[in-house]
Amino acid sequence: MQKPIATTRSATGIPTGRLAIWWVIASEVVIFGGLLASYLMHRLGHPEWASAAAHTNTWIGAFNTFVLLSSSFTAVLAHQAAEQGDGKTAARYLLATTGGALTFLVVKGFEWANEISHGYTITSNGFWSFYYTAAGLHAAHVIAGAIIMLFIARDAAKNLELQRVELIGIYWHFVDVVWIFLFPLLYIAK
Amino acid sequence: MAETHHPDYKKIYVTLLILLVISVAGPFLGVFWITLITAFGIALVKATLVVQNFMHLKWEKDIMKWMLGTSVVLMLLLFAGVAPDVMKHEGTRWVNLSAQAAIARGIPDEGHAEEAEHEEGARPTDAEGLMAAADGQEFDPAAAYAQVCAACHGAEGGGDGIAGQALDPKPANFKDSAFWEARPDSVVLKAIREGGPAVGKSPLMAPWGSLYDETQARAIVEYLKTFKSAG
Repeated sequence: MQKPIATTRSATGIPTGRLAIWWVIASEVVIFGGLLASYLMHRLGHPEWASAAAHTNTWIGAFNTFVLLSSSFTAVLAHQAAEQGDGKTAARYLLATTGGALTFLVVKGFEWANEISHGYTITSNGFWSFYYTAAGLHAAHVIAGAIIMLFIARDAAKNLELQRVELIGIYWHFVDVVWIFLFPLLYIAK
Repeated sequence: MAETHHPDYKKIYVTLLILLVISVAGPFLGVFWITLITAFGIALVKATLVVQNFMHLKWEKDIMKWMLGTSVVLMLLLFAGVAPDVMKHEGTRWVNLSAQAAIARGIPDEGHAEEAEHEEGARPTDAEGLMAAADGQEFDPAAAYAQVCAACHGAEGGGDGIAGQALDPKPANFKDSAFWEARPDSVVLKAIREGGPAVGKSPLMAPWGSLYDETQARAIVEYLKTFKSAG
């Protein structure tokens, strides 16, 4: 079967699909990096934010870190299975990863509902603005990744387009890496 | 998919979980620099493990490492270029009044800044106290004034609070009977809830509507009037 451009042509020696996902991530680094760098400089310049940050729940943050690390683990196992040509197993691992994404979002939903009900909203002060913006942008990436993953899992189960399993994996690990930094920034630094 | 590099993912996953436990446990020691290392040092290690082994950057072509490296450098450049302005609040010929006012609102008593960094709910002036006020439980306008307004408007309402010294225009002086003659209560109420600009006054008067509902703000207005008779 003639394979699409995504798996073949590449001036860099990298399959085009993967090159594309790396470009996405290079731009995401600047998006999240800019946001987190702004947060960091404001946090360092505003000692009063500490009293607001004291109200985030470290245990919930830690649990969600655990969930994302685990989902990254299943995503990379999906990649391994796909490279061995086992689309069914890859699809199963991708579904497990999607399950991780859903768990993360449900936990986040309860966390936010609780915080908002206590009056901590995006307009409360600078800390909460960054808190909801950064975690919200991240959550949007989790939602997008989970949806794309379902499509890829559907095809992978039929042994189609298996190269995509690696690509969504790379994206998913990046989402994980962003959270790895958000966790100490928003939850541990009190 | 020419490469078939697959390290022992389970080992990496377990390592990541152990690092997670350490990063959560770190702050319990209560030592600042240990927390710094266990929080941010370990975050770097975790991120490196994920990027190298899960994203397979370790086995990727060099051009991709350079490309991602460029993004990281751009981010650091942004930080280096902007942070000095954001983190400092005054220089030789400039003062960032709104940043100073924000700090004064958050920490009315500067001597307690250190405590606030490490202790949760140590003082009634922190967010918890403010939120209790927002919940309307035993709302005390005098306490709210002391927590929120006094830093700029002064403990006695004379517009002479510590944080207000540098402000231009000066914070309102509630002792001044001309102040009360010049505007109806509704304007003062609006200024408290929606901020100075809402009534055509200084933007340095922040909006407090998210903390105080209309009834509470009205109680604050009544409290402000006590300064007038006192003065």
